[in-house]
Amino acid sequence: MSYSSNDQQTRILYANELGKRVTSGERELVILESLALDVDRGESVAIVGSSGAGKSTLLGLLAGLDAPSSGELEMFGQSLSTLDEDGRAALRAGRVGFVFQNFQLLPTLTAIENVMLPLELSPRQDVAGKSRQCLERVGLGARLDHLPKQLSGGEQQRVAVARAFVTEPDLVFADEPTGNLDEATGKRIIDLLFDLNRESGTTLILVTHDMSLARRCDRCLKLEGGALHEVVQRQGVEA
Amino acid sequence: MNLIALSLKGLRRDLRASDVRALFMALALAVAATTMIGFFLDRLDRGLTRQAGQLLGGDLVLEQGQAFDDGLRQELRQAGLTLSDQVDLVSMVSQGDAFQPAGLKVVDDHYPLYGQVRVDRGDGIEGLAHGPPPGSAWIAPRLAQLLGAEIGDSVQVGSLALTITGLIDREPDQQAGFAGLTPRIMLNVQDLDATGLVRPGSRIEYELLAAGSPAAIDSLDSRLDALREAGVEIRDVRVDRPSLGRSLDRAQKYLSLAGLAAVLLAGVAVAMATRRYVDRHLDTAALLRCFGASQRQLGQLFAWQLAWLGLAAAIVGALLGLAGQAVLLSLLTRFLPLELPAPGGMPWLMGVLTALAVLVGFAGPTLLRLKRVSALKVLRRELDPIPASGWLVVAFASLVFGALLWLYSGDLVLSAGLLLGGLVALIVLWGIGQLLLNLLLAVLARLPQRGLSSRAWQLGGRQLARRRQASLGQLLAFSLTFAAMAIIALVRGDLLTTWQAQLPTDTPNYFAINIQPQERDGVESLIDSAADSGSGLYPMVRGRLTAIDGEPPRQQVPADHQTDGALRRDLNLTWRAALPEGNRITAGEWFDAGTDTASDGAVPISVEEELAGRLGLSLGDELTFTIGSDSITGRITSLRHLDWESFQPNFFIIFPPGALDDFGHSYITSFHLAEGDNDMLATMVQRYPGVSVLNVEALLEQVRGILGQVTRAIEFVLGFVLLAGISVLYAALTASRPARAHEGALLRVFGAGNRTLARMQWAEFALLGFASGLLGAALAETAALGIYGWLGLEPRMHWLMLIVMPVLGAGVVGGIGFLLSRGTRRQAPMESLRLLGET
Ligand SMILES: Nc1ncnc2c1ncn2[C@@H]1O[C@H](COP(=O)(O)OP(=O)(O)OP(=O)(O)O)[C@@H](O)[C@H]1O
Ligand SMILES: [Mg+2]
Repeated sequence: MSYSSNDQQTRILYANELGKRVTSGERELVILESLALDVDRGESVAIVGSSGAGKSTLLGLLAGLDAPSSGELEMFGQSLSTLDEDGRAALRAGRVGFVFQNFQLLPTLTAIENVMLPLELSPRQDVAGKSRQCLERVGLGARLDHLPKQLSGGEQQRVAVARAFVTEPDLVFADEPTGNLDEATGKRIIDLLFDLNRESGTTLILVTHDMSLARRCDRCLKLEGGALHEVVQRQGVEA
Repeated sequence: MNLIALSLKGLRRDLRASDVRALFMALALAVAATTMIGFFLDRLDRGLTRQAGQLLGGDLVLEQGQAFDDGLRQELRQAGLTLSDQVDLVSMVSQGDAFQPAGLKVVDDHYPLYGQVRVDRGDGIEGLAHGPPPGSAWIAPRLAQLLGAEIGDSVQVGSLALTITGLIDREPDQQAGFAGLTPRIMLNVQDLDATGLVRPGSRIEYELLAAGSPAAIDSLDSRLDALREAGVEIRDVRVDRPSLGRSLDRAQKYLSLAGLAAVLLAGVAVAMATRRYVDRHLDTAALLRCFGASQRQLGQLFAWQLAWLGLAAAIVGALLGLAGQAVLLSLLTRFLPLELPAPGGMPWLMGVLTALAVLVGFAGPTLLRLKRVSALKVLRRELDPIPASGWLVVAFASLVFGALLWLYSGDLVLSAGLLLGGLVALIVLWGIGQLLLNLLLAVLARLPQRGLSSRAWQLGGRQLARRRQASLGQLLAFSLTFAAMAIIALVRGDLLTTWQAQLPTDTPNYFAINIQPQERDGVESLIDSAADSGSGLYPMVRGRLTAIDGEPPRQQVPADHQTDGALRRDLNLTWRAALPEGNRITAGEWFDAGTDTASDGAVPISVEEELAGRLGLSLGDELTFTIGSDSITGRITSLRHLDWESFQPNFFIIFPPGALDDFGHSYITSFHLAEGDNDMLATMVQRYPGVSVLNVEALLEQVRGILGQVTRAIEFVLGFVLLAGISVLYAALTASRPARAHEGALLRVFGAGNRTLARMQWAEFALLGFASGLLGAALAETAALGIYGWLGLEPRMHWLMLIVMPVLGAGVVGGIGFLLSRGTRRQAPMESLRLLGET
């Protein structure tokens, strides 16, 4: 580990020369190539890009949910490539929240049980109370005991969001967190994320198509041709 | 839309899916089990009938005091029977100065119809499929000893001199009974006239032996009745099968039971796999609805797909079954004639029928969901058609299983009882399962959360309890699986123990009969000096039943037993103070010494229960026996069960001591003599020439041999059922793997490490296995109560099982589950989720 700079304290995520290739059948598909990224603690970063550009793939890599084909990757100052699957999980435990593009709720568990699950992995008090609070904050206080099947797409998405921040993580990855929501509900979720960002310094990495969400982030990056490019913020962003 | 082509295409794509494989395997297993056991029982039954025929000398034996006429012969031949004539008589034979009474057995060229005569013609014992040629005689070694004759000597039979060319070791039909107990001499029918023994007034028995298929004999039934009326004594293989009956009957029932257990196991696997199959196809079904498929078309599409699957499974299963029965038979052939009839068509039919029934019964109601799916489901997941009510599925499957049960056992009461009991048991199990899950949650909530491992255990338990419906389903399925496995294993153990207890090593292998009262003490001390064990001496009086309650027996006996042997022959009567060993009172009371006459002076008697059943006798009936020129009447005060396979002297009727004092009697006994201890026998024959000693070692050996072979067949079938059970567990766990993998991958995302995941999954499976083992043991114990009665075994508790089964269950389910979930623990979460089709 290098102590050459005070990066150690401010940098939370670092990627360099990151590549991801997959072989489907006989053909090799390059999804990401020579990608670089540097995110500081407390920052909020939006990643945009066309469908199939590799946004979800990148998010998974950054969170350590998948292994890159090449390049370096650090989270919380730890190189992920030196860690095995187990080590990466341990690094995430309680500190990383993840909202999947397709929610990934367990179909046999109720909304609140889904939210409780990450809390139950570590010794904590009042697991149920915390989970209920989180669901109330996303507007689902009345749907605690419903199964995912009984919820609409947007409601399921909100359960997924609640599950991501119930552990009060340092770093939240969210793949299209407002993709299924109407404007008002979408705004409520966005507010929630940024409140968290402000109050507890939670770092946000968001994949989105929603420009109003992208605009509220500190930085907006576009994924194109397997690499990230800084998007020049339009006028009025600061306003 | 060409549904058949579409269904085949769909099935081909599906072949990689674990649920389709599980379905296929379970169906093939059910068919394999039923055809294997079906083929085997079918051929075993026919083989045993053949062997029984051998012991009788033919499938049908007619006997009378004069020669049979050619008209009857013609009739029997036309019915498809092969005939052999035999003449039995007792006469003096001599060699030099030695004279001995001997039992002549005069045989023709067709003798023996079944089996072989084992005879020593000077170069060791060999098996021959014919009798002695004209001019020669084969004699029993004992007769040779008595006469002081050897092979090559000549023996005088009546006015004919024959050359002794062989010593008889064993006749295939020697166990015909105790009649003609004088030592044997066998000669050819062509020499009979020359002996000059056939004279008016000589006591000669003519026997007409016939061999043929049961159908051929069936066709003669009315003719046989007429012959019986005319005084012909008839032994019929369909009725007079040897007393092995009981044990083999149990073995056959056991095998049927095992087949049913296998079907039940397969049904459970089918039900489990179908759930996953349907879940997986709901989206396809909804999409097809979007594209305009009608409910009917959807129903047909999936019905076709499963029909193909069922057909393929039936063929593979039937082939496996055929191979399996060949293995089973190869375990038995040493004791069965080799030219067993070819496998019949029935088992094939039953196999396919079973596959269909299992498919329709255990998968049908669940499959209906696919048909009812709505197109909107593509848009909204919550529109899953209501899952078929669990109870509907269970009720329908039970009904089908009950029908199968009835079909196989042919016992409606038993099937209905088992079915009803099973349903009640399921409801109770379901309730207990709910209770257990609630209990689990409550306990987990109270436990302190300390350390990683206890947390993992708690999480596993909590997940199990939360997946309530799925867990309950698995709990029921696994309990049933364990119960089926346990029953088959338990019954096997108790069956074998019973058999071993039945024929201990010192089971009598000799009978001595015709012991006169004045010889009694001498014979008894002689036997005591050399034998390992003995039954003691029983007095024996021969008497004929001539009246029941003062009326001729025929007026009292049920119509279908008018010609019962017990009415036509003398019965062996005895007297005795104590209940003979191995007998059990089933009704009334054994007479006490001292109160051996009732207040009104009637003599109390004890009657064997099966005879009483046949003749319609009950307690209080008065039986009159004619003994010589006198008669005696006794009143039935008890019915007895006795073990005909015990190789002890057994009596239908027992009087109290003193009651038969006025009648002439002799004694009978049985004893065990170690092999090669012939001195004592020689002494006995010399000192008491009137006493007949009968060697039943061969019969004993045969019974032991058959039981031994059947035991191996049973072990084989047990192994099969256990394997079937394990594969059901495996299939069920495979079917639930995706859901668990999903959960595992997510927990990984939340930061759960390998050890946590492994412990958690192990905990979940072990808890499930433990509870299933416990419930399964309880279920097996309950079911055993009924099943043991059906098998005629004493019910008993198996306490150890209640401890062993849960532990075993936890080990087996935990082990399989742990192995199956290993893959997901190794994969990166993104990869797992993508493979599950969830990203
Ligand atoms: N394991 C894999 N095997 C084959 N192809 C893959 C794999 N993972 C990703 N891809 C492909 O890589 C591309 C990028 O996928 P990804 O899901 O990251 O896109 P995305 O930017 O999130 O798109 P969207 O905005 O539609 O969600 C897609 O074309 C996808 O099919
Ligand atoms: Mg995506």
